[in-house]
Amino acid sequence: MHMHKFEKIWLIFGVGTLLVFLTVLGVSAFYLGNQPPSCLATINPEKVDTTAPFNEPGLKKVEGKDWDYELVYVAQAFAYTPGEIEVPLGAKVKVIATTKDVIHGFQVAGTNINMMLEPGYISEYVTTFDKAGEYLILCNEYCGSGHHMMTSKIKVVEK
Amino acid sequence: MAKMELNRKTKTEIEDSSSLKGTLASVFLLGFFLIVTWVSVYFLFLDRF
Repeated sequence: MHMHKFEKIWLIFGVGTLLVFLTVLGVSAFYLGNQPPSCLATINPEKVDTTAPFNEPGLKKVEGKDWDYELVYVAQAFAYTPGEIEVPLGAKVKVIATTKDVIHGFQVAGTNINMMLEPGYISEYVTTFDKAGEYLILCNEYCGSGHHMMTSKIKVVEK
Repeated sequence: MAKMELNRKTKTEIEDSSSLKGTLASVFLLGFFLIVTWVSVYFLFLDRF
C-alpha cells in the first residue's frame, strides 16, 4: 500500500501521543492507585444520621491510617454539615462525604477536591492541605431552589 | 496568429495539488495545541491540593 511520507509522520505522532496519554492514565490508576471519588462505597441514604462516620460530621484525628485526619461531610438541601471547619496546615486529610436527599456537588474552589455526592454512595478524596487560606465549598450540581446558597468553608490554618 | 499562440512555450507555476504540506502543518498545529493544553492542565492539577 502506498502511503505518503507525511501521512506516516502524523499517524506515528498521533498514535504516539495516544500511547503517552494512556500510559499516564494507566500509571495513575494502577500504580498510584487513583480512583474516582465515588468508588463502590455505599450507604443507606435514609440512615445517614445514624451511620458512622456520618453520625459525627466534622474533622477527626485518626491513628494508624495513611492519613492523619478524616473530614466528614453530610450534604442535604441546601447546606453542608459542618458549615465551617478549621484544618491544620500540612495535614493529610481524607474527605468523606455523602448526601441525604438528592445529588449534590462538593467542590472546594481552587483545589482538586471536586466530587459528586449521590444518594446511596460515599465519595472520598485524600489530599494534603499544604496551602493556608480560606476555601469555599460549593454545590455544583443543581439541587433545587436554594442551590446557589449551598456553601461551606474550610480554613487551612497554621497550628 | 492562432498558430503562434500554440507554439509559444508557457510556464505556469501551479503547486502540485497532491502536496500535503499544508495538511501536515495544520495537523501538527492542532497536535501541539492539544499537548500544550493537556500538559498545562496537568501541571495545574499537580500544583493544587
